[in-house]
Amino acid sequence: MTMIPPPFDPELAAALEALKDMLPQQLTMDDIAVMRQGPGIQLLAQFDLTMDGFFEVEDRLVPGPEGAPEISLLICRPAAPARPGPLPVIYHVHGGGMIVGTNRVGVDGPLAWARELGAVVVSVEYRLAPEHPHPAPVEDVYAGLLWTAEHADEFGGDPERIVIAGASAGGGLTAALALLTRDRKGPRPIGQVLLCPMLDDRNDTPSAHQMAGRGVWDRTANETGWTALLGELRGGPDVSEYAAPARAEDLSGLPPAFLDVGSAETFRDEVVAYASRLWQAGGVAELHVWPGGFHGFDGLAPQAAVSRECREAHVRWLRRLLGE
Amino acid sequence: MKELAGRLTALDPDAGAAVRVIAYFDTLAESRAGLEALVRGAAVLAGCPARLVDVERRVHVRVEPDGRRQDSDGPPAPDWPSAALVPDGVPALWLERAGAAEPSVVDAVILERAAGALRVVLDRTRGRAPLSPADDPALVETVLDATAAEGARLHAARRLGLDPDDPTSRARAVAPLGGRPRVLRVRREGRPADGGSRGRRGGRPAEGTSLGRRDGRPDDGTAGDRRDGRADDGTAGDRRDGWSGDGASRDRRDGWSGDGASPHRRGGRPGQGASRDRWDGRAAEAELPRGRVGVGPAVPVLGLPGSWDGARIALRFTAEGSARDPGEPVVYADDLGGIALLAELIAPGAEPPPDVRDLERAAADSPWMLATLHAVASTASLRAAATGINVHHSTLQDRLTHAEALLGWPVRTPQGRLRLHLALTMRHLARG
Repeated sequence: MTMIPPPFDPELAAALEALKDMLPQQLTMDDIAVMRQGPGIQLLAQFDLTMDGFFEVEDRLVPGPEGAPEISLLICRPAAPARPGPLPVIYHVHGGGMIVGTNRVGVDGPLAWARELGAVVVSVEYRLAPEHPHPAPVEDVYAGLLWTAEHADEFGGDPERIVIAGASAGGGLTAALALLTRDRKGPRPIGQVLLCPMLDDRNDTPSAHQMAGRGVWDRTANETGWTALLGELRGGPDVSEYAAPARAEDLSGLPPAFLDVGSAETFRDEVVAYASRLWQAGGVAELHVWPGGFHGFDGLAPQAAVSRECREAHVRWLRRLLGE
Repeated sequence: MKELAGRLTALDPDAGAAVRVIAYFDTLAESRAGLEALVRGAAVLAGCPARLVDVERRVHVRVEPDGRRQDSDGPPAPDWPSAALVPDGVPALWLERAGAAEPSVVDAVILERAAGALRVVLDRTRGRAPLSPADDPALVETVLDATAAEGARLHAARRLGLDPDDPTSRARAVAPLGGRPRVLRVRREGRPADGGSRGRRGGRPAEGTSLGRRDGRPDDGTAGDRRDGRADDGTAGDRRDGWSGDGASRDRRDGWSGDGASPHRRGGRPGQGASRDRWDGRAAEAELPRGRVGVGPAVPVLGLPGSWDGARIALRFTAEGSARDPGEPVVYADDLGGIALLAELIAPGAEPPPDVRDLERAAADSPWMLATLHAVASTASLRAAATGINVHHSTLQDRLTHAEALLGWPVRTPQGRLRLHLALTMRHLARG
């Protein structure tokens, strides 16, 4: 098997070069504390949540999983909705390799969708590994969804039109959340948006090898993230599908999925495989593999031509899903 | 990247941000990014719209700081920071940052690096630059072809951006020497379409060239007038911008006349003024090709075959504008009047008339001969002619005495001057 990696898109390569000092590459466990303080994650969390006044923003503490602390939900709802009645809800799970991030990280994407579509965004903050290994993160995410579905009327949301969405670790948690709600017969999201999702703790696909040492979130960083979440179980036979959805035997009965991933990133092959398995299970899925994309390119270099296409694809899919 | 660029600038002193800018464009260049990616890079890193306009290659790219391609027809503002694609060239890349007194260090680096990378891409891809319809030889050929069906000509005209349904719409055929035919739409702004001779001038594609017109015409005023006209006209940049045929002739005259008093004009480098003139909206209007060009009369669209005939005749009256071949590189058929009839009498390549043979003989005698005689034939007075070629009046008199001896006829009488003018003109017509 050739180890020559696909090239980065020219614009993305240039952005990556400019960003490289701020982004994790070959991240190890020792780097986690530094990364949490680093400029990269702050950068991703710093922007105008109101989107020039379009949204009213609220931080809300809601009950966590049984016996666990409360969790914080960031709720952004249109200040002046274009139409009356409950609005669709985008339930957002942030990224950060399971080890960093807040409910503000990466929420600019969902906010942009929600502004286009007239939806509410609820972004959940979950406990991070390694201090809080699996199942703490996914259980927090599930608890947040339960509250969101049960209290949607409090913020003008429609509990029948919840779309769950996340990027990177948030994408993995979103996929796990879809499995959990199916199996626990919890709230039924109408769609799942899995953006460059982190799905497979085995970290052993051709793309994971091919992209080692390159781009954002390489094989080493990925191993760090999964080890933080799973400890010694990582890569072994006893990993829960609610931690690593690629492990799930049965992918039937899940909500329609939008998946995307860059061709030049660690997660390429596991995402493509997951989409294939959704189809094989009789599911509905749309998969985009963005040529030359590194992990999270559309958030890190949103002006690049391929990023603009990617972000437009998200909105188009949501528009179709919501029948807007 | 906008946020990023802001962060970079905030985190780093200017020098640090500049280094990142350099790395950004270097990476784009290494991966052979295209024009839009480079202009986008400039827009994103600067946090304001950036635009690239390369008139010669018909490239126009404008990108908003959020990465959106959004071209604009509006002219660039003179105070925007800009960069040329070639050293000392005209501005081609702008950052739309109004009211900036001095470009910041980072802006300057962005412009410099982006322009350098853009130049490489343009040089690499210029052969593949998209043709505008005005360059489509098939369309131009059809619209100029009297034997083509009227419907076909109307269709071609519309594709070329002409409006045959507008009764006031006018166009000119243009015949460049050795180049493909062109069609120019005539701007009608504020002027009547063709009519009398005044109307014809008004209908010129290149307006605002009255200085140049006076400059180049035989019925010129005084030499001082002409020189003043040149001095503030924006210089040879006009010609480079291609909107002014008259500018071209002016420039050529500088070339052959040996006008040592104005070396800066002969340098042919456009100054600031030139670039501003260029954006008065004329550039897109009338881009005459460089070199010798015949321009047909302004006609309604269906009359273009006739304009083409006129353009080809006018082309025969053009000259290189060199010492060996003095004269106007750009000739409008409108200006020929009865002189045009000479074209029918003298076939190219045929045995030249005796006066032309005399002229050639005289030309072989002295390198100054043709330029001097042309100056005499095309200016209002001997004093103006002397000034035009930068010789003393008495020197001119000595030269003309010598010339008259070689030619065998006077050139300082009205009749002799007409004979000289005709001989010079026939010399153009007789060449192959």
